[in-house]
Amino acid sequence: MNSRKRIIIVAKKEIIEFVRDWRTIVALVLIPLLLFPLLFIAFPIVMQNEAAELNEKTVHVLIQSDEIETSLIMEIENQSALTTTEAMPANLLTLSDSGNDTERLRNMEYDAILRMEQRNDTWYYAILHLSTSEQSNEARSRILDVLIQWEENLTSERIESAGLDVDSTLNPVRWDGTIADADVATKGEQAGMLLSLFIPFVLAIWTASAAVQPSIDMTVGERERGTLESLLSLPLSRSELLLGKWLAVVSITAVGVTLQITGLLFGIAYLASDFIDVPSLSIFAILLLALAVAFYGTMVIALYLALAMRSKSVKEAGSVLTPITLAMIMPILLTQFINLDDVEMFWFGIPFVNVLLGLRELLLNRIIIEHVLVWVLVSSIVCFMTIRYAAKQFNREDIITTKS
Amino acid sequence: MEPLLCLKDVKKSFGDVQAIEHVNLNIYKNSVIGLVGGNGAGKTTLLRLMSGVYRPTEGSVNLDNDRPVTEMRSVLGVVPESTGLYSKLTAWENIRYHSRLHGIDDQLAWNRTYRFAKLLDIDGSLHRYTEGFSRGMKQKTALLRALAHGPQILLLDEPTGGLDVTSARTVRKLVRKLKDEGGTVVYSTHHLAEAQQVCDRIIIVHNGIIQADGTPKELLELTQTSTLEEAYVSLTRETARPRMEETEKTSKISAMWRRLFTPSSSLEVNEDE
Repeated sequence: MNSRKRIIIVAKKEIIEFVRDWRTIVALVLIPLLLFPLLFIAFPIVMQNEAAELNEKTVHVLIQSDEIETSLIMEIENQSALTTTEAMPANLLTLSDSGNDTERLRNMEYDAILRMEQRNDTWYYAILHLSTSEQSNEARSRILDVLIQWEENLTSERIESAGLDVDSTLNPVRWDGTIADADVATKGEQAGMLLSLFIPFVLAIWTASAAVQPSIDMTVGERERGTLESLLSLPLSRSELLLGKWLAVVSITAVGVTLQITGLLFGIAYLASDFIDVPSLSIFAILLLALAVAFYGTMVIALYLALAMRSKSVKEAGSVLTPITLAMIMPILLTQFINLDDVEMFWFGIPFVNVLLGLRELLLNRIIIEHVLVWVLVSSIVCFMTIRYAAKQFNREDIITTKS
Repeated sequence: MEPLLCLKDVKKSFGDVQAIEHVNLNIYKNSVIGLVGGNGAGKTTLLRLMSGVYRPTEGSVNLDNDRPVTEMRSVLGVVPESTGLYSKLTAWENIRYHSRLHGIDDQLAWNRTYRFAKLLDIDGSLHRYTEGFSRGMKQKTALLRALAHGPQILLLDEPTGGLDVTSARTVRKLVRKLKDEGGTVVYSTHHLAEAQQVCDRIIIVHNGIIQADGTPKELLELTQTSTLEEAYVSLTRETARPRMEETEKTSKISAMWRRLFTPSSSLEVNEDE
């Protein structure tokens, strides 16, 4: 029997065993598949419903003014507000000074208090509210809307009375045509730009987090359950064992990443179907994308398997891999902020960062040969080193006896 | 007669700890050999050297034709002390996994498994998950797994440890049957009575050294004693060392860190009580 067959037998068994745990299916299939649709679709629906509920509520507004116009009060009442009017309190330093009215807001007697005072030609106002109350914030927002409209009307009236044209005075500089028409990037390129921000992020975060559990389970977990010794006495080299386990973790992680990206694309398509198209990528860019993903998966998973196998117990492996997973966020964040138009070459020499940057460039269909050569070379070396390190850990004699 | 398995001047150390010292041992075809010794004697290390899980620090472990054991693992069937079954696989899936890695056709492995499963009285449980198996069932499944590819030598590490009387008896009967069919079994145990019952030849291991090697009768003659128990005691008078796991090294940082959180005991023995 050849080596490839043995590797596949190991990988198949690992996958079957992993998948037989229903919790794994939830973690591996449901969560990645539903995460982004929930965030992009269900979340906004819930928020809209909450906003609509709040919108229907009647708010109580106290108006403190000696000269407010009746039309303005009526406009506020048209916003589902019950109003009470009283005279402006005396001895206020400014209108924002809550004075003795704090308690009236705190005990919910009123949701907001509007104070207005005219000094010469200018109206001064303040809206007192309780920022920790949703209803008070809503009342403030409704008053502000009315005031903005009222201010616009007042401004127009004053411009007109000065003998000027309202429209050209208020908007002396304006865009001609539609903004989208002025962008020379195609919809496909725009989609690539948007996805270049999301896909490397999802790929890196999900690979780093989804690979932790199977890596621990298939190495130190197997040792703790006592199944490793019988496996090592089989006609199977340790390199084959490592590759079989690596293949299993890669497959499990790849399913998770693919489902999460599917969910992400579905969410984006649902939200932005009018202005997002399929990214326009050349065949070469797609091949390089696959290579970049393969490099990233190889490096991360080989490193995880090595560190998990090196650990004395499942608990220790968890303590080692959790901070490493969190540390993986650093290169991801870095790549999000690097300006691709003016990117320095050295970034492509930094392991992990380089592959993610490469992914961003490729999603924009930018194939810059010097960049590609550097990240392919550096990643090949790092892949080789991580695999060597993993092989070294698998070849240790004490891997069956190390106990916590 | 050519030995089936040959350990030549084998030495095994873990760091500074000598686990096995200068062992010379020949295992011949069609015999049941008992490795007898206390905790930490070196029985498991010897079995792991025989199965190729451990590489000797010095010397060699070869199968017939002088080939290193690591190149010919298919002739071995191994049942470690922990049984090593996957709980989310059925008994048959556990067996099939190993037989496939041995390159054995599923049908052939099934035929062998079913035959031995009937002898061990677990033929009705082959398609059950091993998660809920008793210790005895696990041990029997591990035995079936080791036998499915038709090994020439079976290495059993304390196969009756933790088993009830009936299960232990069934395992011993199977070992004898294998011997009757021309098989070779190396069997490690704590129990002299069991070794006497099952084995043709007994090897007494103590502190990593083979103290004696022979038939029960030869051991009695060697020690001038009337029972094997007396023979064993006379051969192993030297204080037993701790198990290898207990002597395992901890990194300096880990040791220092642990000491920080280990309060010193202030209790003293009160001689008056």
